[in-house]
Amino acid sequence: MIERRKEEFEATCKLFIDSVSNYFKVLTEINSEMGIPYLKDATEIKLKDYTGMIGISGNRKGFVYISAGKEMFEDLINIFIGIEEPSNADILDMAGEISNVVAGNVRANLGANFMISVPIVFKGRPEELKFPKDVSIYVIPLKWKIHEAFVVVGLE
Amino acid sequence: MIKLLIVDDSSIMRRTIEKNLGHFNLDIVGTASTGVEALDIVRQKKPDIITLDITMPEMDGITCLENIMKIHPKAKVMIITALSDKLTGLQALDKGARGFLYKPVNAQSLTKAFDKLLKRTMPQ
Repeated sequence: MIERRKEEFEATCKLFIDSVSNYFKVLTEINSEMGIPYLKDATEIKLKDYTGMIGISGNRKGFVYISAGKEMFEDLINIFIGIEEPSNADILDMAGEISNVVAGNVRANLGANFMISVPIVFKGRPEELKFPKDVSIYVIPLKWKIHEAFVVVGLE
Repeated sequence: MIKLLIVDDSSIMRRTIEKNLGHFNLDIVGTASTGVEALDIVRQKKPDIITLDITMPEMDGITCLENIMKIHPKAKVMIITALSDKLTGLQALDKGARGFLYKPVNAQSLTKAFDKLLKRTMPQ
């Protein structure tokens, strides 16, 4: 039973990896490199400068977030709308939109009962940020161009 | 001139859509970040075409679409969403959407989908 749950969790992580890869390929025509996923405890979760997080409910419960340095989001915004010095609000918006697309695309495989929230975006590590203790958390390192980021999937 | 309304809670997405549809002969009558804002613009400006996101705060895109169809049934609504399951697509078409596009969208996919919508719904 535990083995089956583990396989299911890893298969779901694979869907997120594919979704992230597709995002960068389609929108920037530059492939991203995904590192080897590793398990983390909720107390030692990594965050970079800006984070876009999506809550997951329905047939699966948990969260997914993408956290990256300011420069990655600035680079994406420049590609999409040609702004070289975006505002803080633009960077947060970009972090939210990428996490929304990555999570939403997973529904192609998991169906409409894989429900996602609107993005929650933040800079740094807000004090009130708490991760549930009863979830398994996978950290997937991501590299796109020179930028390093994390995709973090936490599921019950 | 065709009147366009862009509805998406992401400002980057709204500006991306605006930029990539720039070569069509369009009058962008408004942009909205929520369904409630969108309905106000629909009432006032009666846009011919509306691009509509689904995952939005306050009012989701499907509920917004239902309301648009009540207020302005002639509007041609193209859903642009990250929710890439079949059920969402079918639900949107059932509620009156005339086009559907999955994010991520780039210049080519937007142009193609928009071109198709124009040819199908607004023949010259």
